[in-house]
Amino acid sequence: MLKGHLDAIVLAALEAGPAHGYAIIETIKRASADTFDLPEGTVYPALHRLEEAGLLSSAWMTPPGGRRRRMYSLTKAGTATLADRRKAWGRFSHAVNALLGGRAWPA
Amino acid sequence: MAGVIDEYVATLRRDLDFDPTLARRLADEAEAHLREAAEADPAWPSAAAEQRAVARFGLAREIAAQFAADAVERQSRRTWIMLAATVAVTFVAMRLRVVWLDDLGLSMSSLAPLIDRYAFVAALAVGTVGWFAFRSSLAPLAVCLGGLAASIAAGIVRAGLFADGAPLHVLLAAAGEIALIGLLSWHVFGLHRRLRRTAALRRAG
Repeated sequence: MLKGHLDAIVLAALEAGPAHGYAIIETIKRASADTFDLPEGTVYPALHRLEEAGLLSSAWMTPPGGRRRRMYSLTKAGTATLADRRKAWGRFSHAVNALLGGRAWPA
Repeated sequence: MAGVIDEYVATLRRDLDFDPTLARRLADEAEAHLREAAEADPAWPSAAAEQRAVARFGLAREIAAQFAADAVERQSRRTWIMLAATVAVTFVAMRLRVVWLDDLGLSMSSLAPLIDRYAFVAALAVGTVGWFAFRSSLAPLAVCLGGLAASIAAGIVRAGLFADGAPLHVLLAAAGEIALIGLLSWHVFGLHRRLRRTAALRRAG
């Protein structure tokens, strides 16, 4: 189930600002209270795919005294896509909640 | 002696050999990720800390297979665009040849004009069906490539039979056809390689 939403989750994890792959995974784990404990490497195909689609940009950066990392950030198109995905998810989850909760839809 | 992370990164680089640029970039990203993860482990520095970081990262072949599947999708899209361009240029070149030969009042009774025309029509039909029904399959692209190559070869034979005084625009259109069929062949071959690599990675994973 998570696989179909991984791209949106990665976009959301970058909303606060640029981050590298390891930080993105840590953000996803923390924000989901470890519910989304996916293999860490699976975030990289998603990052590259989103960059290819123009939703992310990336560049190598080396902080003073730190390790060289590839930093990813949302593009304008990425921010707009995240907003669209949020709306779609809101409608979808509302409908599923209504159905599973036995309430009429639209509630 | 190579550490656990070094060995993992080497494996990942090897599994991504279908795209050397991607292999270099991802190997660098994965190594930085794994070293940071290992350093965050309470048992750092130790082989066990590196082992746990690698285990959390996931199997190299599974990650490479995801990249390979994305590469297939990209290559497939590029190949279909190249096919559309080749069809368009072949059609224009064919029409220019027909108009030129008609202007000369030359007979079109030999086999070459028939192949020129009907191989093109067959390629167009297969391409159209393939686009709607079998877009991720190599077969319609290979059939279209064969049909267009036959059409172009026949067209060139046909133009070669009447080469004396062939106008420049007819020759340029034929050159465009040859260039595009070469590029299309390259793309179809590239897609074939990526499909095979993806299948091999999935089998091994």
